[in-house]
Amino acid sequence: MPATVSTKAPDRGADPAVASAPEQDTGPDPGRALRIVAEPVRGRLTAAIALAGAAAVVGVAGFALIALALQELLRPEPDGRTVFWLLGGALAGLLGRFGLRAWSFRVSHLASFALEVELRARLAEQLARIPLGEAQRLGSGRAKKVMHDDVRALHAAVADSVPLIGFTVAQPVAALVVLGLLDWRLLLAVLALVPIVMVGMRLAMRDYAETRRAFDDANEAINAAVVEFVQGMPVVRTFDDGTSSFRRFAARVHDFTRATAAWQDESRGAMIYSRALMAPLPALVIILAVGVWLTAAGSMSPATLVAALLVGTLPIEAVVPLMWLTNHLNESKAGAARIAGVLAMPPLPEPARPERPADGSVRFRGVRFAYVPDARPALDGVDLDIPAGTVCALVGPSGSGKSTVARLIPRFWDVDEGEVLVGGVDVRRIPSDVLLRHVSIVFQDPFLVADTVAANIRLARPEADDAEVEAAARAAQAHDFIVSELPDGYETAVGERGARLSGGQRQRITIARAMLAEAPIVVLDEATAFADPENEAAIQDAVAELTRGRTVVVIAHRLSTVVDADQIVVLDSGRVAERGAHEDLLAADGRYARLWEHHQRARTWGLGSTNDSEDAAVTR
Amino acid sequence: MRRILRLMLLAAGGHRREYVRCLQSSLAASLVQAAAYATLIPLLYELTCPDVDAGAAWTWFGVFTACYVLETVLRLHELRFQYSKWADVLAEARLRLGDRLRTMPQRELERRAAGDLTTVVGGNVANATMGISTLGLLFTQLITVPAVLGVVIVAVDPRLGLVLAVSVPFAVFFVRRLQRASGAGVREVDAADAAAADRIVEYVQGLPVLKATGQAGRRSRRLADALTAQGAAMTATQNRTTWPGLLASSVVQLCLVAVVAVGAGLVLDARLTPALLLAVVAGAVRFAEPLATASSMTQVFEITDAALERVGEVLDTEPLPVGDPDARIERFDLSFDDVAFGYGGASVLRGVSFTAPERSLTALVGPSGSGKTTITRLLTRYADPDSGAVRIGGHDLRALDPAEIYRHVSVVFQDVYLFDDTVRANIAMGRPDATDEEIEAAARAANVHEFVARLPDGYDTGVGEIGGALSGGERQRISIARAILKDAPIVLLDEPTAALDTESEVAVQNAIDALVADKTVLVIAHRLTTVAGADQILVLDDGAISERGTHAELLAAGGRYAAMWAAQTRARHWRVPSSAS
Repeated sequence: MPATVSTKAPDRGADPAVASAPEQDTGPDPGRALRIVAEPVRGRLTAAIALAGAAAVVGVAGFALIALALQELLRPEPDGRTVFWLLGGALAGLLGRFGLRAWSFRVSHLASFALEVELRARLAEQLARIPLGEAQRLGSGRAKKVMHDDVRALHAAVADSVPLIGFTVAQPVAALVVLGLLDWRLLLAVLALVPIVMVGMRLAMRDYAETRRAFDDANEAINAAVVEFVQGMPVVRTFDDGTSSFRRFAARVHDFTRATAAWQDESRGAMIYSRALMAPLPALVIILAVGVWLTAAGSMSPATLVAALLVGTLPIEAVVPLMWLTNHLNESKAGAARIAGVLAMPPLPEPARPERPADGSVRFRGVRFAYVPDARPALDGVDLDIPAGTVCALVGPSGSGKSTVARLIPRFWDVDEGEVLVGGVDVRRIPSDVLLRHVSIVFQDPFLVADTVAANIRLARPEADDAEVEAAARAAQAHDFIVSELPDGYETAVGERGARLSGGQRQRITIARAMLAEAPIVVLDEATAFADPENEAAIQDAVAELTRGRTVVVIAHRLSTVVDADQIVVLDSGRVAERGAHEDLLAADGRYARLWEHHQRARTWGLGSTNDSEDAAVTR
Repeated sequence: MRRILRLMLLAAGGHRREYVRCLQSSLAASLVQAAAYATLIPLLYELTCPDVDAGAAWTWFGVFTACYVLETVLRLHELRFQYSKWADVLAEARLRLGDRLRTMPQRELERRAAGDLTTVVGGNVANATMGISTLGLLFTQLITVPAVLGVVIVAVDPRLGLVLAVSVPFAVFFVRRLQRASGAGVREVDAADAAAADRIVEYVQGLPVLKATGQAGRRSRRLADALTAQGAAMTATQNRTTWPGLLASSVVQLCLVAVVAVGAGLVLDARLTPALLLAVVAGAVRFAEPLATASSMTQVFEITDAALERVGEVLDTEPLPVGDPDARIERFDLSFDDVAFGYGGASVLRGVSFTAPERSLTALVGPSGSGKTTITRLLTRYADPDSGAVRIGGHDLRALDPAEIYRHVSVVFQDVYLFDDTVRANIAMGRPDATDEEIEAAARAANVHEFVARLPDGYDTGVGEIGGALSGGERQRISIARAILKDAPIVLLDEPTAALDTESEVAVQNAIDALVADKTVLVIAHRLTTVAGADQILVLDDGAISERGTHAELLAAGGRYAAMWAAQTRARHWRVPSSAS
């Protein structure tokens, strides 16, 4: 029965540069994955099972003692003391039952919380070990889903189900033993229920794999349709009178209804069965039928019948909660599989005999690289030679390989063929922390943590003192706005992902951070694209300061910003199409010259009737 | 309780009648179930009496069995709603939610994260519609069975009934305590979860910096602190709920022992026959049964409660008021009349007034956060102004049906949104009845036809299949083709070329030229050259218009605009310095 529906939305936050990222959902099979990921708290879970089992046993004993007390009372001359002790024992048994049960749940819950903390730490560690490119391809959205939501989904399996396992096993066994001790004929009657329960469990837990998959697909489709519908709402409202997008949404909703109906049709029998037979009432009918017969015939005490009524339904009551949890358990298993999948990703090999880069030079030798094996390579035989202290600009259309080149320098991935040398050393022979200290990257999308301005700058060199932080901020043209515009200067909290700062301010803080890192090589994914006009000039000054005396590799979107670069490399479909200085490339009248012409036109484009530019497309 | 019932009926929506019928079945089933348990009392009494009346016992057994059969029939009937109707109820609720998303003010929509709404429409609503029948069952059973059995036992022997009844206030008290403790815990854990999730996102984004400085993995202090705090919050909740949970679940069962103990005392004093005690115990055992079920289902209860709450919140959102549905826009001039607008206490626009005549070009310039985008948003009724009026063709937007506004306005956004459908469908969205020729003409005008023709299936290529293969410029041109096809007389442009590379930019610019011909245009631009030819330029500063005029007038005025122009002219000539400089 589809009682609980996954609430996970598909993650659309993939890095556009590597949008062909495959699903990472390949791991061991879900049931095994669950055992693997729960390994760190295995001992505590075993203890929880044992406690729950003990709870079930003393509880059943308590019920039996109540029955014995009643039996004593039925005697012609009941002994008050015996009754007192029996009831005392019953009270102790029931107290023990609830106390041990609560203890078991407590142990399993605390184990589950510890497991969450531990798994998240392991996943964080793993993300730091796999190639940075793989971590980026996973994306912060999906990483959050695995590290947070999937780990949380284990709760149902670890915290809630584990004690129930102890209960489900021990309670029926203890109840049957007590029944056998009371009267073997009652035991036989209740044993008749066992196959009923077994069949019920089988039916309820049966996985209608194919139907379930269809249901899951329909569910995924709903989530995708909702994401689309919500994210596209501004477009939906102004471009669509609601007919086409709403129809698409409605169609997905109806697909889901059909998939659900199919599943329910299949599981209807199991549902009717479990509702009709897996309940206390039918068990009582059987016990009463045998019990009334035996008691009326005088071959059994009515007190024994009461005892049977007390414990006879326990075997069935024990399995019901576990059946309720089935769907949560399936979610736990799916989450465990994804967690195990991430933990199984191969780490980036660290060098056995580490070397250090000698200088700030960068070289590519015959580099071939594909994001996905056997796919069209993103880079195909690229050679680059960027001497220390020079500026190299990468230009070309989107998808030409600019971002790939930039990301291979700090070894976001390992190349398939050829080699990338930093400071004369193959990056595979440089320990990754050394390499990342040697190469600073400033992304287009500035990364800030929800801490103070000073902490964000200091991230690059935690041991830097205040004077060094301020010097970096000054060089990045950030000092002025930090002290004059922010309420607490360097101690101003920037908010989640820097939300309290403008785009230009965020960008300058990341430049200050790169400045503080003092890396000899700087990779810039052109940082000015999103800034507003007044910020733009300040950011440009900051970049100029940053590049002084360093090797710079810059991805340029606006060609005018890179005309002075020592070399301009024009990439096209993963190959170097042209290279040289601006003037040489213009003279060659090739691809770059065409790009330059486009750029000139784009720069002077204007809307409106009085534009005096010759290129303005005046259309009114 | 009332709140839950209201939310449950809200979630049941058009299937309310069936839902009420399901609750009625549930109530009837619970009554029969209680009756079955009650028959155990006379049954055991007959068997325990010194002169056993087997015939009477068998009669009661017959009654018991009949009750079982009847209860099963009623339960299956009750299940019909959950089983056969659930999918329909869910579909209906989802469509209602979808409709509400379309009619709620865009501002409300944005206030909630997209992921959050996906959870509501994708997951919460399923849990809510599933849970309403489960909860209905739980409530009726939880109240009916103990109530009926309690009354019967009091009638049989008031003294024992009283002992049993004493447990009820205790149980209620501890359940309340448990709810309060876990409620507080849930809020605390939610906050810790949100913080941990933020730190995880931050960690993944910052990995290059963190790895470089040895702050990755277990050595990432910020992440480790958040995760430890999260674990501590969960543990604290567990600690707070352990005792109330234990007491709530055990108190009723312990009262069973008390009943036997008191009864034993009475029997020993010969003030009660053992037969009666035995009979009462047989019934009292079942008194606690639904409570045991309830405590094992607290999780279902919590999930359903939270889901109902969130679904209800969306369904309860006031839709954008529809003005006069018959009012028609006939002129296409725009005006802002002393408009003030703010969100959450922060003022975004203050005293903004301007007029944009039909077929004129108005540019909005100014630093980010100055209110430019808000102006374009108010024109699409993203939200209503706090004071003043926004008008199109002389109509206050509040007096119009939002659909009438949308019909006459096209917006080209900086972030392009394409639907996971074919290229054709994405363009045709602008005018669903357009012919293939018209779609192609729009694509040509938007400079996108040539590129679409090269796709494997041309116009029938799915945008999703080639998602990553489309550049920003290509996506933007498809969105412009959509707007060209729509041919609305008013066009709003929000920085449509900001995020593009050089080659795309020229193509997109040409496409925009085709789009804006002969239209009333409002454009936001960072690059001032783009709008130097505008009929009027409005310079926004901190939510107010600080300067206005044509490019020449503003330059002559030597104010803010002139300064921006100078800064940008300098920036335009900036270049990454070479190593030689």
